[in-house]
Amino acid sequence: MRPRVFEETVLPHLDAAFNYARWLTRNEADAEDVVQDACVRAMRFFSSLRDDDARAWLFTIVRNAWYSRVAEGTRLNDGQDQRPDNALDPEERLLQQHTVGLVRAALEQLPVDFREAIVLREIEGLSYREIAEVAGVPIGTVMSRLARARERLQTILKLNALSETLR
Amino acid sequence: MSCELVERDLDAYLDRELDAAALTAVREHVGTCAACRRQLAQRETLARLVRSAPYYSAPDRLRARVRASSQSHSVRRVLTWAAAAVLVLSVGAGMTLWRPGASRGDVIADDVVNGHVRSLMANHLFDVQSTDQHTVKPWFLGKLDFSPPVVDLTSSGFALVGGRLDYVGGRPVAALVYQRRKHTINVFVSPAGGDPSTSNVVLTVRGFNLRHWIHNGMSFWAVSDVNSAELGEFATALQAS
Repeated sequence: MRPRVFEETVLPHLDAAFNYARWLTRNEADAEDVVQDACVRAMRFFSSLRDDDARAWLFTIVRNAWYSRVAEGTRLNDGQDQRPDNALDPEERLLQQHTVGLVRAALEQLPVDFREAIVLREIEGLSYREIAEVAGVPIGTVMSRLARARERLQTILKLNALSETLR
Repeated sequence: MSCELVERDLDAYLDRELDAAALTAVREHVGTCAACRRQLAQRETLARLVRSAPYYSAPDRLRARVRASSQSHSVRRVLTWAAAAVLVLSVGAGMTLWRPGASRGDVIADDVVNGHVRSLMANHLFDVQSTDQHTVKPWFLGKLDFSPPVVDLTSSGFALVGGRLDYVGGRPVAALVYQRRKHTINVFVSPAGGDPSTSNVVLTVRGFNLRHWIHNGMSFWAVSDVNSAELGEFATALQAS
């Protein structure tokens, strides 16, 4: 494999891969490890990259790298039940009394499958079909995850009140 | 359109995943229904908020680490190739390189996968492009010191699409190309020589499925990204022909 080809194809998506991993893990150090793992896998399987969509392909590998770490029982939590520490810390919460902090905390509270769907859709702009491929689930599942995730976010963010103040 | 239906389609509407008819239906309903309009407005606000969430860019040290491991990865691959070349040379003539299981088999398997990948990436699938076995088979005459069996398996769902010369294990071999739906199957054929192995070998190398078998004194290596069961079907069809 020519390193140039790999670097030209995969490195442009490193930010996207890291952002996705960062939202999965909710932790900078874990996200770095996961992306590093994923890139090593991506090099090994680079010849299996068929279509042009290196970004979705890389997301899939990041996801697999993360899940196999979770399966190995490393210090990564699975993101399902545990809230991030800062969501419980009153001081931290005071510091987050601005929109970005609120949104971040709300996203981090979502179950990982919901969070993933939202991040891939809203932040990375993937289509339902692409999200389904990355997450390995049917499109219908993607749709219901997105709908439920948004319901939850609206509840967490008390959007009725918030949208009034933003007006 | 009822409010329930609109509620069901609201996310797909916002995500531009609705077809034109459904899109128009939602738009028309929202135009007349204040409750749904409010729902939609909330979802739009939420979308704006979510997009204001932090975007985490990859730290520079990560970028540097990935680049470094990409370079060392390619160096390792070159070394592996060099080691394989030394092995091929040291094994020498007269010994069969085709017996799998040993490290020689791994070298062959690696060669087979590389040949397959090269044929797809370099867009050099064919020297002779034809679905007619009576065109493909004679093409190899005089180019190889053996005559590979060439059969079209369209009736079994594997269409012959052509052939070319390739190198595997340091010797020229016949590469036959078959198509299964959108997938390409390469089959590398050469004389089995003294290889006594008759058992079928099933392998996965770098995500590709491989099958090796010996039939009528010929050694076959089939490689593809079709799943292992389908490749097995292919091998069976080819052996039965």
